[in-house]
Amino acid sequence: MDARSRRRFLGICLGGVLAGAGATVLYPLVSYLAPRRGSGGGSKVTIPAADVPEGAAKFFEYNGKTAVVIRQKNGALVALSAVCTHLGCVVQWQKEKEEFLCPCHGGRFNAAGLVLGGPPPKPLESIPVAAVNGIITVG
Amino acid sequence: MNLAKRIYNWVDVRVGAGELVEKELTGYLLPTNINVWYSMGSILLFIFSIQVVTGILLLIYYVPDADKAFKSVTFIMNDVPFGWLIRMCHAVGSNMMVLILLFHMLSVLFMGSYKSPREMNWLSGFILLTMVMGISLTGYLLPWSQLSFWATTVATNSVGAVPVVGSYLVEFLRGGKLVGPPTLGRFFALHVAVIPATIAALIGAHLFFLQRTGVSTPPFGLKDTTNRWQGDSYRYESHPGGIPFLPHYTLQDLTSISVYCALFLGVVFFDPYIFFPSTAFMPADPFQTPAHIKPEWYFLPNYQTLKLFPSEFLGIAVQGAAMTFLALLPFIDRGTEKHPLKRPLFMACATGGIMLYFALMIWGHYS
Repeated sequence: MDARSRRRFLGICLGGVLAGAGATVLYPLVSYLAPRRGSGGGSKVTIPAADVPEGAAKFFEYNGKTAVVIRQKNGALVALSAVCTHLGCVVQWQKEKEEFLCPCHGGRFNAAGLVLGGPPPKPLESIPVAAVNGIITVG
Repeated sequence: MNLAKRIYNWVDVRVGAGELVEKELTGYLLPTNINVWYSMGSILLFIFSIQVVTGILLLIYYVPDADKAFKSVTFIMNDVPFGWLIRMCHAVGSNMMVLILLFHMLSVLFMGSYKSPREMNWLSGFILLTMVMGISLTGYLLPWSQLSFWATTVATNSVGAVPVVGSYLVEFLRGGKLVGPPTLGRFFALHVAVIPATIAALIGAHLFFLQRTGVSTPPFGLKDTTNRWQGDSYRYESHPGGIPFLPHYTLQDLTSISVYCALFLGVVFFDPYIFFPSTAFMPADPFQTPAHIKPEWYFLPNYQTLKLFPSEFLGIAVQGAAMTFLALLPFIDRGTEKHPLKRPLFMACATGGIMLYFALMIWGHYS
């Protein structure tokens, strides 16, 4: 084996060792920094029905995001993602108008989450909701 | 021409990188009889970098609140993926940093490298040692365990022996009459901001002094081992015909760092709790002092010295005198001889001092 090919072989070996060492450091580092799965609320959330009177809204955490449940004046329950589909701000419930307003850029949604005006490109995401024996179950 | 060379040339014609590499790396010549002990500084720089990186990573999950600190550390250890590894590297690394610093200091002592004109190198290094002790002490409290709480209580209490202002100093240090949430806030700020910034600045000064005075010649394998600097004018100690720093001594530095890593990771993986007594796993309880609370191994001689003297003031004064003597050593030891075997008084004092240090450490551990 001549000196040049030996040097090349050793260079490749060294490169391999360094790459291995780099991966050994990088893997724990990325795992350490990666967002934790399952954090921030489970797949179902229960709320006492008394907490959501007619015309009121209750905000809570659902699957790591902000959600809202409202009881319309006709008594119907609606659960929606409260994250505006425009740029991710949390919408606010306008009790009198029975609609959501995004304070960031003026996006408006009706009680069913459909866009009424402003920049949001799509409706608020709907979440299944049911009320049984005075307990509201979302999800 | 490959891409790497083209990028290098692009940078070179703009900032003169080649000239800098020639002056500071390939053309930076070291004495031909240089030895492995000269790589301790590089190991220390490596450890400091690891401490900074792992420290920043710990800050992501650590909560500096007395009610949440212990829980957050437990969370890092048990729930965050590889959190145990990051924390163990930080905790073991802090101990290793003190150990290698002591080795670095001993090599400088025995090879007479502290002698003029390197007084400022020695002083900046000595202050670095005290800063590392300080950062270790302040970091010790952060997990808010029984060990943290009571070791800090004892350590801060010692300051009370200072005449006249002692009790005020203790209260000032703790942010209250006893160790409590205000102490955690103070120590956290010192540990993550004030002391690391000071250490970084001191490392810069230390390297600047080294760069200006040049690397000292080891006294081994030479006929004339005396210090020939007269003190009349500035002189850079050059080593014509010496060993280039890059690649020759860099390889020695990398070898030493690899050996260090083997030792360090050996402790982290095979005996990570060597520095953790059982009280380190209990949350702090201000109403329950555990039995046999002891400081870290490097504070054991100080701890034992305090116990030996009938008055706390005397214990503190003796330690203060010893530290001052060590800090001012280059100004006290004005002899020109550098070889340790040709300095019998130095050898007797140094050997005696090291034996006393170890004896007090062992005594403190078993007392």
